[in-house]
Amino acid sequence: MRAVTGSNIPPSPPSAFVARLRRIALVTAGLGVTAVAGCAAPPPKDPEALAEYREANDPYESLNRKMYDISMTLDKYSLRPVAKAYVWAVPYRVRQSLGNMVQTMNEPVVFFNDVGAGKSRRAGDAFVRWCVNMVAGVGGLIDVAKYAGYPHHDNDAGLTMATWGVPSGPYLFLPMMGPSSFRDGAGYGIDVGLSPWNYVPSGYGLLTFNWAYNIMGVINGRADHLDALDQLQKDALDPYATIRSAYQQQRKAQAEAIGNDHRATVPDWYN
Amino acid sequence: MKTVLARRHVLGLVAGALALPAVRPARAADAAAAGARSFVTDFGRQLIAIVNSDRTLADKKAAILPLLQAHVDMDEIGRYCLGRYWRAATPEQQARYLALFHQVLVNSITDKIGDYRGVTFTVSGTSPAGGDQAVDTIINRPEQPSANTQWIVSTTSGQPKVVDVVGEGTSLRLTQRQDYASFVARHNGSIDALLHAMDHQVAAHGAQ
Repeated sequence: MRAVTGSNIPPSPPSAFVARLRRIALVTAGLGVTAVAGCAAPPPKDPEALAEYREANDPYESLNRKMYDISMTLDKYSLRPVAKAYVWAVPYRVRQSLGNMVQTMNEPVVFFNDVGAGKSRRAGDAFVRWCVNMVAGVGGLIDVAKYAGYPHHDNDAGLTMATWGVPSGPYLFLPMMGPSSFRDGAGYGIDVGLSPWNYVPSGYGLLTFNWAYNIMGVINGRADHLDALDQLQKDALDPYATIRSAYQQQRKAQAEAIGNDHRATVPDWYN
Repeated sequence: MKTVLARRHVLGLVAGALALPAVRPARAADAAAAGARSFVTDFGRQLIAIVNSDRTLADKKAAILPLLQAHVDMDEIGRYCLGRYWRAATPEQQARYLALFHQVLVNSITDKIGDYRGVTFTVSGTSPAGGDQAVDTIINRPEQPSANTQWIVSTTSGQPKVVDVVGEGTSLRLTQRQDYASFVARHNGSIDALLHAMDHQVAAHGAQ
């Protein structure tokens, strides 16, 4: 009897073919790396300018600026108006509840990353938040855990790698995804893999829910930053550099906050 | 017996003398922390009294300006933000830059707190930050998530003054410095280009 799933998978190709595919992939990847490296501007000679260049950590600046311009133009005509309409149409309390749900649904990713960072107390907090909010918080719509003494904390694979001592690598501005770095970009891929929602089976409306959840999450997230981003683009002389600086500082502070959390896992009475 | 007592006294004195230098900096640090804390509490209370009042936005801005000038070291922040270009600038450029910087900073702060009512804030803790004191506050605005904000208070000018504000890990003056540095670098190191852009920014803000 044949298995129902994967019935159309062709027989595995001969090894020579695989080897050729691998070679093509390697050459393409190599070309890609050379192309990116070709965009890197040479570091300046002046010592003070060099210090500034190192502080910005942005050797691919010209490419990143292009990505930034494209993203901001697209945002101006697509996501920003949608987010503005969403804020106009949906009352604050409802938006807050949807924001809570998005946050709770991401709690498994935070949990796995807390475990990865070796922070058991934080992992416990994320676990309790998930259980409490999914049950008492009606599927995450109400952040009950916050009132029970378990406020939300951030974690993602980029931060977990930061606590392992993995350097951020050069700054990257990813189209439509915003500020990132080599490490954080790779971390994003890991987080997608860690999210249980990406493993939901088809049927029962789960896939529909997953799509709705992701799209809603994006709109809700953009709506949260409407005023801040508008103000930044108005106030900053070079918004690109301001976003880069703010992002890098914030990531550093987040990684330090995780590293400095030395709360014990054992209860107080045990000590 | 007498010798034992005397020896005990001497030992006590020696121990006391050893402990004193350790105690004194701790006391000084406590005093600095308490001073910074009361300074931020007082400043925040006055600022929020203006923000929560029934005045018009223009009135609020007019009332906030002297308060900021008294509590924020705007010249020091301005010099920091210009970074290495401060030394490259002529005295005239420096003076013009500082005058513009004051206006930009005040506009930026009043824009942020602008039309809010019902703002509350609590001081949660104090920690040393280099030679300065970092005072942690939580600002609650209606219909907005609460913001954790850190105020860096320096006493190098003789009296306590705010030299930086850190929100969610992002330092206001460092971000501003990298904004200016990048702008000047992209305009071939021309400080006049920066002054021109700031001029434009202030004029555009006034036109609103």
